[in-house]
Amino acid sequence: MDALTSLFAGFETALTPLNLLWALIGVTLGTLVGVLPGIGPALTVALLLPVTAKLPPVSAFIMFAGIYYGGMFGGSTTSILLNTPGESSSIITALEGNKMARRGRAAAALATAAIGSFVAGTIGTILLTFAAPAIAEIAVQIPPSAKFALIMLAFVTISATFGGSPLRGLISLFLGLAIGLIGTDLQSGQARFTLGYPELLDGIDFVTVVIGLFAIGETLFVASRLRKDKASVIKLEGNASMNREDWRRSWKPWLRGTALGFPFGAIPAGGAEIPTFLSYTLEKKLSKHPEEFGKGAIEGVAGPEAANNASAAGVLVPLLTLGLPTSATAAILLAAFQQYGLQPGPLLFVTSPELVWGLIASLYIGNVMLLALNLPLAPVWAKLLLIPRPFLYAGILVFSTVGVYSLNNSVFDLFLLAIFGVIGYGMRRFDFPVTPAIIGVILGPVAESQFRTAMQQSGGDMSVFVRQPLSAFILLIVVAALVVPQVLKARAARQGTVG
Amino acid sequence: MSDPSPTLTPPARPALSVPDLLVAVGVLIVGALLLIGTLKIPFGINAFVGPRVFPMIVSVGTLALGALLLVATLRGHRAEPAAEEDSDPDAQPDLRQPGLILGGFLIGSLILVPLGFVVGTAVMYFSVGFAFGERRLPLLAGVALIVALITYVVFTRGLGLTLPPGILKGVL
Repeated sequence: MDALTSLFAGFETALTPLNLLWALIGVTLGTLVGVLPGIGPALTVALLLPVTAKLPPVSAFIMFAGIYYGGMFGGSTTSILLNTPGESSSIITALEGNKMARRGRAAAALATAAIGSFVAGTIGTILLTFAAPAIAEIAVQIPPSAKFALIMLAFVTISATFGGSPLRGLISLFLGLAIGLIGTDLQSGQARFTLGYPELLDGIDFVTVVIGLFAIGETLFVASRLRKDKASVIKLEGNASMNREDWRRSWKPWLRGTALGFPFGAIPAGGAEIPTFLSYTLEKKLSKHPEEFGKGAIEGVAGPEAANNASAAGVLVPLLTLGLPTSATAAILLAAFQQYGLQPGPLLFVTSPELVWGLIASLYIGNVMLLALNLPLAPVWAKLLLIPRPFLYAGILVFSTVGVYSLNNSVFDLFLLAIFGVIGYGMRRFDFPVTPAIIGVILGPVAESQFRTAMQQSGGDMSVFVRQPLSAFILLIVVAALVVPQVLKARAARQGTVG
Repeated sequence: MSDPSPTLTPPARPALSVPDLLVAVGVLIVGALLLIGTLKIPFGINAFVGPRVFPMIVSVGTLALGALLLVATLRGHRAEPAAEEDSDPDAQPDLRQPGLILGGFLIGSLILVPLGFVVGTAVMYFSVGFAFGERRLPLLAGVALIVALITYVVFTRGLGLTLPPGILKGVL
């Protein structure tokens, strides 16, 4: 019942008129930016950081919560009407939802995505409400060596286990770790890798890295191979709405998608891709109309979209309780916390309860607001897709410039932004995933400090990582996550050549 | 690392891809530079793990991964360019457009303080719009100025950020 009491206190924080206003601004901006093609939730949050610069922490995080969920809602609109997923977890929505829209069912596709996201987001937030304090209570007792092991697990699962090439993922991670090293070492005061630039003594702001790799890199890459034909936006007649048959076919996939999405978000296992694919396969198997899949089946939008949003809520569990981000968006939220001098983790529930619970309460509120914003206003958001690409990408670049320049009012940061833009271009050209680099930049310094604390406590004895049972167990999983997929792949390859 | 030579039809026997090779060598060079940088960090005092240990792990790791990538590349692996949503995977890559954007961005950055935020970002906006194929130049220039102006006003007046006013000092 403790969780309920705290939650009510959180609602008291979140329901003040001013904080409600911040939540509303957050969901509106989040949807607005999220709808723009080419911008996923991670970049939405990073781009909108300067907007919150002058707010007190509680209001800022209430706004972030809105931006986070709003970015997810906005992404599905783009996927359905324009067939352009803003991130890999929206691929399925684009696949099935766009086919629906082409068959003149755009309103139903948008509605099942929005209501499914609402259902999943709300259930996910309820689960978060009860799971988070319980996990935080256990997490307080986790020793630094095990925290270090947990970060290793996040590194490996995010960069190596999933995605095309583990090698390329790991190189991306190490690039991020190297960027994270730049600046003054906090424990010894030594300057590291500053190349003599005083501007680098404070390290490189993660916003610069994120916006450079994502937004500038994408702009440069798209410009280098422009699509000559015009993207076809599907016209939306009227509001997003569903008929009785649509409801009947949607509600079970929503619930099943939620059940798949939440746990996958909560464990460090590389985000929302897996549960959305699993949900799609499951719905295809269970459907009475399997022949409709691939041609616009409503279950194929409802399930994956719910899984996507449930995992977004799940991601907040390790983020808030362990300080461990399991997606690029969560990593940016973590960094935003750090900018306010807050370290997410079990202690946050003790030291800043009004902030954590205000944030959780505003997730409920944001969800309701998003439903109200998205169903009747769907045609308005759809209009945003009509912005011609030259004007759109130019606008993204100007917005990126504001975000990065306003961090330190420094032109030096803009040059850094250009450098990261070129690196981001190269990563797209040579198939290196961007997310591991972001996680590396943000979690690298945390990993180093946990490692050093653990060593300090053990008196310099490395064996603490093997002797401490929890650390040893997690590190064992890390090794398994690195080795097992390789063994399986080699085995499959051998069988492939033999058989 | 931005040589764009396109991978059209992969030949039956994988040929060595020069851009991929350059990337692998690039990773090795980064690793080597990191190692050199690491050796320049003084040892910490009063600590079991000094400020050098982690950079050492990162640089040696980068070198090892670079070596693996080099081996993979020599054995014929090549990277497929990402399939971004707005890009055409079959288009002939044209490096002039990104060059134009970068050029505009750098000029905009340099004049950002002396001439002001509005002029600087309007130059950036214009160069991106032009690179993306917009040829109605007066329209583009007009939109660039309006967007820059609105952004400036919203962020300075509405959100209290300080952006350089430049030549518009006193006017805005």
